[in-house]
Amino acid sequence: MSAHPTEIKLHQQSRLLEIAFDDDACYQLPYEFLRVSSPSAEVRGHGVGQETLQVGKKNVDILEVLPVGNYAMKIVYDDGHDSGLYTWDYLYNLGKHQAELWQDYLEKLEAAGGSREHGSEPEVKAGGCGSGSGGGCGHH
Amino acid sequence: MSFSEADVQGALKNLIDPNTRKDFASGKVLKNVKIDGNNVSLDIVLGYPAKSVWDEIRAMIEAHLKAALPGSSVSVNVTSKVVQHTVQHGAKLVDGVRNIIAVASGKGGVGKSTTAVNIALALAAEGARVGMLDADIYGPSQPTMLGISGQPATDGEHFMTPMSNYGLQAMSIGFLIASDDTPMIWRGPMVTQALDQLLRQTRWDDLDYLIVDLPPGTGDIQLSLAQQVPLTGAVIVTTPQDIALMDARKGLKMFEKVGVKIVGIVENMSTHICSKCGHEEHIFGSGGGEKMCADYDTEFLGSLPLDIRIREQTDSGKPTVVSDPDGNIAKSYKQIARRIAVKVAEMAQNRTSVFPKVVVQNT
Ligand SMILES: Nc1ncnc2c1ncn2[C@@H]1O[C@H](COP(=O)(O)OP(=O)(O)O)[C@@H](O)[C@H]1O
Ligand SMILES: [Mg+2]
Repeated sequence: MSAHPTEIKLHQQSRLLEIAFDDDACYQLPYEFLRVSSPSAEVRGHGVGQETLQVGKKNVDILEVLPVGNYAMKIVYDDGHDSGLYTWDYLYNLGKHQAELWQDYLEKLEAAGGSREHGSEPEVKAGGCGSGSGGGCGHH
Repeated sequence: MSFSEADVQGALKNLIDPNTRKDFASGKVLKNVKIDGNNVSLDIVLGYPAKSVWDEIRAMIEAHLKAALPGSSVSVNVTSKVVQHTVQHGAKLVDGVRNIIAVASGKGGVGKSTTAVNIALALAAEGARVGMLDADIYGPSQPTMLGISGQPATDGEHFMTPMSNYGLQAMSIGFLIASDDTPMIWRGPMVTQALDQLLRQTRWDDLDYLIVDLPPGTGDIQLSLAQQVPLTGAVIVTTPQDIALMDARKGLKMFEKVGVKIVGIVENMSTHICSKCGHEEHIFGSGGGEKMCADYDTEFLGSLPLDIRIREQTDSGKPTVVSDPDGNIAKSYKQIARRIAVKVAEMAQNRTSVFPKVVVQNT
């Protein structure tokens, strides 16, 4: 059985989605990271190399998260994007490989000459909770 | 005079549910508190079936709140809701069933089937939706004990409709083998496959509990069933003889090995009740089951006497809980069933079937 989330917290000021899993893993995922990693067909395209690079999402906000069955959720962003189906496995993977995936995105962005939008230097939190803002998950 | 929800919670913190031994404010029992002037209304949702005591609990809470909140007019609604609980890792859940409880024993003839059927009937009597799966290939006895004969109807190509009596949904390996057949020679993999089909290809209808009468012993078949059947917990039936206890210990260890929680131990035929004079005697020695529970840190759920009425009623297709529902023996079975249900309710809820809590914070 794969891990199942026990709690999801939306930190609206710091734009972090905190997700705790029942195997005690806990991740803080920036909204921007979630948005540019959206598993929707719009973003992923229909195969490797078909992806559309997402740019200028630094200040994207999450309006709401909607349950999909008991295996996934949909995230509704303030830029109108709402077609991404984030399964628990997908979110777990995003959390686990956050640092590499983010680095990968930044490299692609640079290669394409895109921008996160008049931003300061990217600040990536590689770990789970307890590091960075919010001071951990408050679970267990 | 006006009250707040905190007043209601504070008052209920001081009132203990005699069944769970916890107060009514903790857990998730208290729901839907509404306050309108002096009128207080609330719902109590018990995690265990308890139809027979809903009224009693309602009266108890109303009286308590009226005393704690002078001048209030209180209306309490009590119901039960059995939720799904976690199972051992790796076992696939069964459609239509929230909790599967295995009834097991280290050896045959200790009264495992008798105990299983009476517990199932006791849970049903409290308003739960209950099924009985007779998986004892060595001696399927549930058809006889439940007074059911014939064969289950098929439902489409792959499913069977469970048989039913006394409000239980029932399926037995015994329904599928003709009774005058010479006993089949079952081999391990064949057995587990047949039982897995019996479990998963029966259209169980919205069950709170499915009680499984397992084959006795701790061999390969039992071990693979303990791994494959998604069990909320196991109840071990034993008799006071030391030899049976040794076997029961093996059974307990088998479940622990595969990560199945032990709900507790029932000691059957603890005492002998003389059918002539009613005198009760510990003919096999006393305290064995309790000692075993202490040794393994599990709960002693209760005991049943060796009483000819249990045998006569059960073997004639009308187990004690339905043939003499208000008698002392039925009371013992009901107490044991209540304890099982309360313990199951305290186990970790299976979160994979619910959406996680979402919290929005201004941080
Ligand atoms: N407490 C009891 N008092 C008298 N007879 C009992 C009692 N428990 C079981 N029996 C009888 O003992 C026999 C074996 O019980 P059963 O439940 O079939 O055992 P098992 O399933 O462990 O093989 C049955 O005839 C049953 O009616
Ligand atoms: Mg039996």
